[in-house]
Amino acid sequence: MLILSRRLGESVTIGDDIVVTVVGVSGNQIRLGISAPKAIRVLREEIYKAIQKENESAANAVDSKKRLQGALKKFRGQAQEGSDE
Amino acid sequence: MSSRVGANEFGKADGFGEWEQELFFPAGLLGFSSCHQYRLERFKPDDGNATPFFILHAIEQDLSFPLIHPASILLNYQFPATPELLNALNASSSDELTPLLIVTIRERIEDITVNLQGPVIINPKSSLGLQMVIEKYELRHPLLTREL
Repeated sequence: MLILSRRLGESVTIGDDIVVTVVGVSGNQIRLGISAPKAIRVLREEIYKAIQKENESAANAVDSKKRLQGALKKFRGQAQEGSDE
Repeated sequence: MSSRVGANEFGKADGFGEWEQELFFPAGLLGFSSCHQYRLERFKPDDGNATPFFILHAIEQDLSFPLIHPASILLNYQFPATPELLNALNASSSDELTPLLIVTIRERIEDITVNLQGPVIINPKSSLGLQMVIEKYELRHPLLTREL
């Protein structure tokens, strides 16, 4: 990993069109300003990883139809019980 | 809330009927950024009954995602129609766009969740789609929220 020291207000450029600027420092929190092309997705890492993981859980390569069928059956079963009350 | 959606009404709740379309996701889905071509279709169970689910099938890979429209689970779901979003999906207004939520099927029905934080947004007119991120929304919202 490349490690660079920057002061408040200083920037790092990545490629031709990404600029990361330190816009605030307070205690152990650093605020970054990120300028990047719109096609580049900029996210907090934990958010990115959480959604990525959820996508993987949701992706059912082989048996999505079977599993969905099962879920639907249970879904209907519960809805049926509900309306019988 | 007293409204209760019966199983047979699911197909009507989202207003899309037998929607089937090929879609292009220029940026892919998070974690699947190299997969761009998908086919969206209504999930058809063997019993032929109406279903609220859609399936997003990757065309070139063995990959698929179950989806549901927020209206099917009585959610008044709002996504921010930023200029970037409209531009990316080649839309002139958010009315052209449809949000679909990815469903994570789990063993127990109570554990099945929908992802409100990373919705798939589709422009049926341009056949473009993307997964957007809305940080303030829940990643795992129970599919069944109604009192049964």
